[in-house]
This record gives sequence, C-alpha cells and structure tokens, in this order.
Amino acid sequence: METFAEGKSGIALFVPESYDIIWSSVVLIVVAIFFYKFFLPKFQAIFDERAAKIEGGMAKAEKAQADADAAKKKYEDQLNTARVDAAKIRDDARTEASHIIADARTKAESDAAQITANAQKSIESQQQQALVSLKGEVGALATALAGKILGSKLSDSDVQSSMIDSMIDGIDKDNAGKAK
Amino acid sequence: MAGVAALTGAAGVVLAAQSGPEIPSIDEFLPPEIIFAGTPFAMNRIIMVRLIMTVVMLVVLGITASRAKLIPGRWQGFVEWGIEYVRDKIVYEVMGELRGKRYVPMISTIFFTIFFFNLCGIIPGMNIAATATIMMPLIFALWTFVQYWIAACREQGLLSYLKQECTPPGVPFPVLILLVPMQLIDILIIRPASLTLRLLANMIAGHLIVALCFSATQFFLIIAENKLMMGAGVVTLAFGFIMTLFEAFVAYLQAFIFATLSSVYINMSYPEVD
Repeated sequence: METFAEGKSGIALFVPESYDIIWSSVVLIVVAIFFYKFFLPKFQAIFDERAAKIEGGMAKAEKAQADADAAKKKYEDQLNTARVDAAKIRDDARTEASHIIADARTKAESDAAQITANAQKSIESQQQQALVSLKGEVGALATALAGKILGSKLSDSDVQSSMIDSMIDGIDKDNAGKAK
Repeated sequence: MAGVAALTGAAGVVLAAQSGPEIPSIDEFLPPEIIFAGTPFAMNRIIMVRLIMTVVMLVVLGITASRAKLIPGRWQGFVEWGIEYVRDKIVYEVMGELRGKRYVPMISTIFFTIFFFNLCGIIPGMNIAATATIMMPLIFALWTFVQYWIAACREQGLLSYLKQECTPPGVPFPVLILLVPMQLIDILIIRPASLTLRLLANMIAGHLIVALCFSATQFFLIIAENKLMMGAGVVTLAFGFIMTLFEAFVAYLQAFIFATLSSVYINMSYPEVD
C-alpha cells in the first residue's frame, strides 16, 4: 500500500470534497426524478396496457371459441334433425311403396280372376255351341252312315227321323249318366 | 488475488531493476480539479465522467422509454427485462409485492445508476468508475439509511423498531449489555458505511488491477528493451483482458448487492410477522 499512497494520504479517499457532495447530490436528484416521474411510470403503463391487451385477447378468444361451439352445436342439431327427417321420409316412402305394391297385386289378382272367369264362360259357351253343332253333324253323319248300311229300308223319312231321335236320346242318356 | 499480489511483486521488481511501468496509485481517485476549480462546483475527471454518464444514461433510457411500444423490439425487450429483473428478483424477492411496490422506483434508481456508473470503469476513454469517489456510494447509502428509518417510524414506531433491532427475544440480560450498543452501531453506522465502502473499495480495487495489468503490458511490450519480457507482457495483457471482463461482472454484482441490501435493510424496518 505504501507504493500506492505515495502522493496523497489514503485517508483522502474517504474525505468527501464539497464539490463531490454537490455533484453526487445533483446527479442523484436528477436520476431519481427521471426514474420516478418518467422512466418507470412509462414502462409501467406499457406493462399494464400489454396485460390488459392480453387479457382482452384471451376473453375475445374465449368468446370466439364459445361462438364456434354454439355454431357447431347448432349445425349438429340441424344435421340430426335432417337425419331424422330423412329416416322418416324413407319409412313413409317404404310404407307407401308397399301399399302401392299390395294394391297393384290385389288389382292384378282380381283382373286375373275376372279374365279367367270370362275365359271360362267363353269356353263354356263355345263348348255348348260345339256340342250343338256336333249333335247336328253327328246326326247327319250317323243317318248317312246308317242309310248306307241299311240301304233303301231307311229311305222312308218317317223311319229316318224316329231312328235319329231314339239314337240321340240314347246319347243324351249316356251323357247324363257320365255327368252323374 | 494471489496472482495479483505476484504481479504487483513482479512489477515492483521490474521497477527496482529499471525505470519500470507506471504503477497506478490512489492519486487517480483524487484527480485535480479541471473546471470551476476552487468553487463548490469544481469538477475533476471522475465527476466529468459521472456527469457524462448521467447524460448518456438519461438520453439512452429516455429515448427507449419515449419510443416504448406495446410490442417491444429487442432493445426495449432488454430494458424491460432489466426493469422486471430489479422489480421481481430484487425488490419483490426480498420484501414481497405488498411492501415492495412502494420501493420499486427507489431500488431501480439505485440499481441502474450504480450499474451504469460502475461500467464507466471499463469504458475506453472513461476508464474510471463514476462511483469511485466517496460521495456517490455514500449518497446512495444515505438514501437507504433515511428510507429505512422512515419505514421504521411509519410501520411500527421508532421505539418498537429500536426494541426489535436491539433486543431480540430470548437473549439473556447480561448479553444485552453488549448487544444493544452493537446493534445500535449497526443500524446507525455500519449499514450505510458498509454499503458505501463495499462499492467504493470494489471500484477502486478493480480499477487498480486493470490499470496495473495494462500499464505493465505497455511497459513489457513497448517500452522495455529486453525481448524476454515480451512473454510477461502477453501474460499481463491476457490477465488485463480477463480482469476487464471480470470488472463488467463486478459492475453488475455490486449494483445487485447494493440494491438487494437496501431492500433488506428497509424490509428489516417492518415489524416482524410471526
């Protein structure tokens, strides 16, 4: 230390000069006013504003989220309703279709029955006609045949007709017997 | 520190051998008055440095604050980090937010001013800390001193504070005969004095070491004829470089210690809560 303290006494370091007191005080007052009145309030305002903005932003985001959730729920509800509606419509359509099919079937069946009945009737009448015409022809044929077999004996018309009648009676009786 | 002693010793030997390097002395902290000499407004080199640094600090921080935006840029972010560091890591850490709020501006002023002033010690052209005369640390210490006495009177009354500080519960009477004067000396003298001397001594010692290293380097590398001394010069240069970085750290550390102890002393003025 002796080397260092050559010029002035080391004690001088710890004895404040009057100008040192003044300039230290001036500097401290100026700096303190700067920090108290300008620098820190300015940054505090910035910090507060930023915090408010962040909180506002978060509230906004929450609201947006809620809105989105509500919209999603709404659309999902609509979708569900639509789905139910569609199912209902499909069921209705299916029921209607089965109705239509059943109706068509009934109608077709009745038509078919009617056609069958008509056909039956027509067949019966045609059979009757055929029978009648057959009766005539068979009579003529048999007469001719019998005439040829019996020759002149049967040329007398009285005999002829009585013979046909008795023969047809016989056929009728046969038929009646068969029908029974 | 042993290295420093060795270096000083080496420098001493060199001094003895030949005309030697210029050894920095405490005279550097008692520089001549250069402006307004003889008046109460006289200025020496250190006060010039202090005033220049004050202006620089006010301009830099003032521009930063006046241009402060909601979305900070890098520099603003850095400054904001500093403000929040002092607030959260020093004031609120020691006192809690409730008590601390009132003292944030004070401790911020102390921290930033001491930090900037300390940095002058390693800024080329200034090369001496603006806190390296007795008054600057002392006035910060006196501010703290006044504040913790005011806090004591406001929060619990003077007598209650003295009782809390001087007679801790559970101490037997004979011990109090010793303890009471010691505690009184502590709260009246030791606290402000230790704040002052710690900062002042750190700045003086830091400057002496750095100055010594570079002065020795100058001598070894340039002035000295002996080429063998070049090696020593390289060592002192490297050491000076390291010490400069270390001084930057000390500049911050002393500002932090001063601000933290101010907070602690003020906090001790509040009544103890069980």
